[in-house]
Amino acid sequence: MLRQEAGRERPPVAALLDEFQAAERAGADAVRRWIAVCHEPRLRGGLRVIEARDRGHAALAMARLRALGAPATAVVGHELAALCSLLGASGISDRSKLAALLARFPDGAHDPLAGIADQLAGDDETRALLETIADDERASLAWLRGIHQVLETEVTCRTRD
Amino acid sequence: MPDAGLGAGRGPVLRFLDDLRAAEAAGATVFEAWAAVCAADALRGGLRTIAEREAGNATLLADRLGELGVPCEAAVRDSLRFAALARFGAAEVSDDDKLGLLLARYDDDHAVGRPIARVLDELDPDLETREILRLVAAGEQATIAWLRAYRGQG
Repeated sequence: MLRQEAGRERPPVAALLDEFQAAERAGADAVRRWIAVCHEPRLRGGLRVIEARDRGHAALAMARLRALGAPATAVVGHELAALCSLLGASGISDRSKLAALLARFPDGAHDPLAGIADQLAGDDETRALLETIADDERASLAWLRGIHQVLETEVTCRTRD
Repeated sequence: MPDAGLGAGRGPVLRFLDDLRAAEAAGATVFEAWAAVCAADALRGGLRTIAEREAGNATLLADRLGELGVPCEAAVRDSLRFAALARFGAAEVSDDDKLGLLLARYDDDHAVGRPIARVLDELDPDLETREILRLVAAGEQATIAWLRAYRGQG
């Protein structure tokens, strides 16, 4: 569910898929490392699904790239690489990781892939592929916000007690 | 063998997880077969994601059952699986007929997640599995909602 930095020139379909697969793969790898050091069972459960979904999304984007005859050459940018490094690190709290991850999605943003469909006019298969992937991303984002809220509330209550 | 704190309710809950795993694995093969013969680009794109989602759910559940020391034994009946593959993997059956057949099983988009929702409370001691299932249910609802929306556009 981690996209590359925005603000670049609008890419063609293949470039978009390539950047997406690289970001999803890097995200899945980072979440896998996070799971390995996460001791909160609720968070670990959801992260396992998010990792599996992201890895599946990367595979779907790769398959679509192959079908379009395009190579996969993208690498993740510095900002995303730094976030992935933080997520996979030990010694950083789960709450801090959640806060860093959710900071990429401002309040009210529910769709990490918003606007992508507009770039895919004329390629219905890729558009539908990304539409349905976006459903997963929305569910992941909503779940992450929910568990973040739960963990923050629990800390607040413990502090108050 | 870890029992995840499920206690006396362990048997039925674990059986449900294994049944769900088998259903998701079978569902993945059916959606793959449908995508392979689907001539509508937009539907095919969605079916590919849905097949991947179902396969991912099956793997997640199999992994979790393995961690809980439970063998994966459930299987969708061959007759049911073969019939579904024959119907949904048939190029001569229209996409609209397939969509109608599938969507007729669910009154609304949330119906598909209700059996899972009923089990969530019983998983309260096993919070890791509970959250896995919560997101699996969200994926199931997304699948039905997308297919229903696609059919509505047709």
